[in-house]
Amino acid sequence: MNFLNLGLGELLGLIGVISAGVVALYLLDRSKKRQVVATLRFWTPAGSRTDLKHRRKIQQPWSLLLQLLSLILLLLAIAGPQFGVFDGPGRDHVLVLDTSAWMGSTTAQGTVLDQAKANARAYLRTLPRRDRVMLVRADALATPATSFELDRGAIETALRDSQAGASSFDLALALDFAERAQAMQGSNPGEIVVVGAGRIDPEKSTLSHQPKNLRFISVNSASENLGLRKVALRRSANAADTWEIFVSVHNYGLRAHNVDLAVQYAQTPIGSRRLALQPGADEQVAFTYKEKVGGWLEARLNVNDSIPGDNRAIVEVPSQGQLKAVVYTNDPQLRPLFETNPAIQAEFRPTSAYNADTKADFLVLDRFTPPSPPAIDTIFIEPPANGSVIPVKSTVAKAPLDRWSQDTALGSGIYTRDVVLDSAEVFTPAPGDKVIASTTSRPVVVAREGAAKVLAIGFLPTRGSMKFELATPLLIANALRWMSPGTYGRLELNAGSVGTITVPIEANTDPATVHVLDELNRDLPFTIEGTSLRFFSGSPGTVRVQTGGGELIYSLTLPELAETMWTPPQGVAKGVPATSLRESAATDIWPWLALAGALGLLADWILFGRSSIARLTSDAGISLPWRKAS
Amino acid sequence: MPEPLLSTALLERLERLAIHWRKSLPGLVGGHHTSRFGGSGQEFLEHREFHHGDDLRAVNWRAYLRLEKLVLKMFQLEPRVPVRILIDTSASMNTGKFDYVRQFAAALCYVGLVRLDSMTLQPFSDKLHDSFNAGGGRHRFQPVMDYLSALPCGGRTNFMDCSRQFISKFPQRGLVMVISDFLDDGEFEKPIQFLSDFGHEVILLQIWAEQDRVPPWDGELQLEDAETGQMVELAFDRAAREQYTAAFDAYAERVRHVAERSGGRYLGLPTSVPVDQAIFGPLVNTGAVA
Repeated sequence: MNFLNLGLGELLGLIGVISAGVVALYLLDRSKKRQVVATLRFWTPAGSRTDLKHRRKIQQPWSLLLQLLSLILLLLAIAGPQFGVFDGPGRDHVLVLDTSAWMGSTTAQGTVLDQAKANARAYLRTLPRRDRVMLVRADALATPATSFELDRGAIETALRDSQAGASSFDLALALDFAERAQAMQGSNPGEIVVVGAGRIDPEKSTLSHQPKNLRFISVNSASENLGLRKVALRRSANAADTWEIFVSVHNYGLRAHNVDLAVQYAQTPIGSRRLALQPGADEQVAFTYKEKVGGWLEARLNVNDSIPGDNRAIVEVPSQGQLKAVVYTNDPQLRPLFETNPAIQAEFRPTSAYNADTKADFLVLDRFTPPSPPAIDTIFIEPPANGSVIPVKSTVAKAPLDRWSQDTALGSGIYTRDVVLDSAEVFTPAPGDKVIASTTSRPVVVAREGAAKVLAIGFLPTRGSMKFELATPLLIANALRWMSPGTYGRLELNAGSVGTITVPIEANTDPATVHVLDELNRDLPFTIEGTSLRFFSGSPGTVRVQTGGGELIYSLTLPELAETMWTPPQGVAKGVPATSLRESAATDIWPWLALAGALGLLADWILFGRSSIARLTSDAGISLPWRKAS
Repeated sequence: MPEPLLSTALLERLERLAIHWRKSLPGLVGGHHTSRFGGSGQEFLEHREFHHGDDLRAVNWRAYLRLEKLVLKMFQLEPRVPVRILIDTSASMNTGKFDYVRQFAAALCYVGLVRLDSMTLQPFSDKLHDSFNAGGGRHRFQPVMDYLSALPCGGRTNFMDCSRQFISKFPQRGLVMVISDFLDDGEFEKPIQFLSDFGHEVILLQIWAEQDRVPPWDGELQLEDAETGQMVELAFDRAAREQYTAAFDAYAERVRHVAERSGGRYLGLPTSVPVDQAIFGPLVNTGAVA
């Protein structure tokens, strides 16, 4: 019995208040009515005058009792009492519906999720109506679809709207969430019911804590499925315009299968393999492909299995960029220094053709002072003393090049030994300028940060012994990396599954230089532990991980499938319980109470309310002729 | 702006009516009803012998030449008979009847104004209050409505005193319409008979509210007389109500008898009958207006 969540005392108090109101209305209705009339000529006083104390007497006690009894019956009918075994107040259950990617697999009876929904409905039918249910959709995250609801229609609607996700089922997280929900919102905790395939990540197959009120309703998810697990691309270490492609295929089924794997780039086939996959086995295939322009790489398994979502993966490959350099020089010896670099598209022009509006990524000015300073990144080689951007202090001859600043990006990794420069300019660096190389503590290579970066080299790299030193191309490569960090950065593309992604990064990476961006360039949260960066993506999409050393692009289009079947330990209830006998033994008696109350009010109206003549005698009325009533 | 007592549509309908009386009443020339009194009318009435003091202009000189006797030629007089409407303003009228009475009086007054009758509105309760004279056509009707709208209501009813004051105040005989509920505690027969004996033609218009005739209440009642303030407590039921209504009907019949006995007319009207229906139905049937 539940009457607006009132206790017995509160209910009795409410009945008392209503009864007092009814008695008051009754007495008010039965009190004398005061009327002003035109004359008392036709009225005659009653045979026995009514005294004031007469008003306080209840003149129709049976009518009053009948009304009170009828109202009490109606109130009890609203309370919804039941006759029979009563097993206390309702309980609060949490129904955890597995909406992982595996639930989208198709079987002969439809999808696995449809079977799970049917089992969930069957479970709901066994619950007493007073029990509240919260529906939680669980994949890698646990998301409540409803609060604790008495309305089975709302639960049914939430069940109907549930869809299979793209991540795997995190059972521990779902159970923890369910327990917290029952502890925080549930007044009388009931069961935590997990309905699903029970396929979880092997690393999370062991539960640290198992709720005592756990029930597991499994569905048959045994189906054959082959799927791509990962597609990775990275630039070849040998050739900058060559991609190395790795494809990983997994057999989730119980039988061995032969499957054709096809890989195409920009709709052009670049390779195919026929793979023989044993149950539970992985197969990795490598391809190489040479291409500079960007496009879409597609890996496809030609198979018809239960989960078509993991049979195809697509990765967007960006075009391989080249820096455009314009070299103003009259010395043809500089040509090999820039032409041999595949990352540079160099154009050589005479110094007389200098144009301040040159369209390029950077300029190289060889022993030449421009009439107007360039507005883009520039490498000055042995600039004339008059008009140099970085002032030239002096010129020295036979200067040993003995020091490179290893702590700078430009000087990192460059060493020279016994190198003597025939002639070198000594610069006077301004505050903020960085000395890259020096000879006997006199700066000969200076870099300046700014909107337009400047690198001033005080000697000609192709002159003298420097022509044969490895330091020369390294200096140019470091200069390009400094001017355009992305050109020489590590680029790796991956197609994987949603969920938690672990990315290997360089040691001692500054977290401030790391950005994890989604498709809309919004920052995603991440953690760094040692050489691992972890982030989570619950929905398919592209995620870019930018570090100081390069950029990794994750095309998370594959569903995350967990193949380990969770086995409920001892003590966990299984399956849909039988229909509650206690519930069926109880009988609602509110219709009878309501009927009795209505009949009581009807009888009161017929007997007492329709006319009040029963208490009056007709001969107590008029006495004619005209006589003053008072 | 207060709503007018009578609607324009009703006023247009009232223009077709005229107030009629049965008696031959004297009055100034200019009326629209013939009288048995001779005078300077247009219709020939009779010849009579000349008496000393008669107007020589009325002598029929042709008859004198033939008969050698002075004979007066009498014409039928069409006098302007004063119409006086006595309006009961006692406190008993304030029990749902007074607005109806005001509308009814206004309608009668408008009928008289249209026919150029001399109308007098005379409120009364225990005495005669300030009267209002109206005449001269329909364009004089607005002051009538203003007067009636501002008419107060209260006091007790005393027909005898009022009739005495009326006779002394209005010596010229005429038509007297008494609009009242006649539910006072005193006598009304003698005052009405007194007016009739003085030569007035009396029309009694009894107005009652529905609750005056059929009280809607049941159970124990505490009743207060609107005029005297007297209280009475009694029990009331359906049978008592039937007896009450029978007593009221008998009383109304008695009022009718008094009116007809004195040569007048009677009309009883409940306020549930709209004013226009009351005028064009029962009132026209009595012949008071036509």
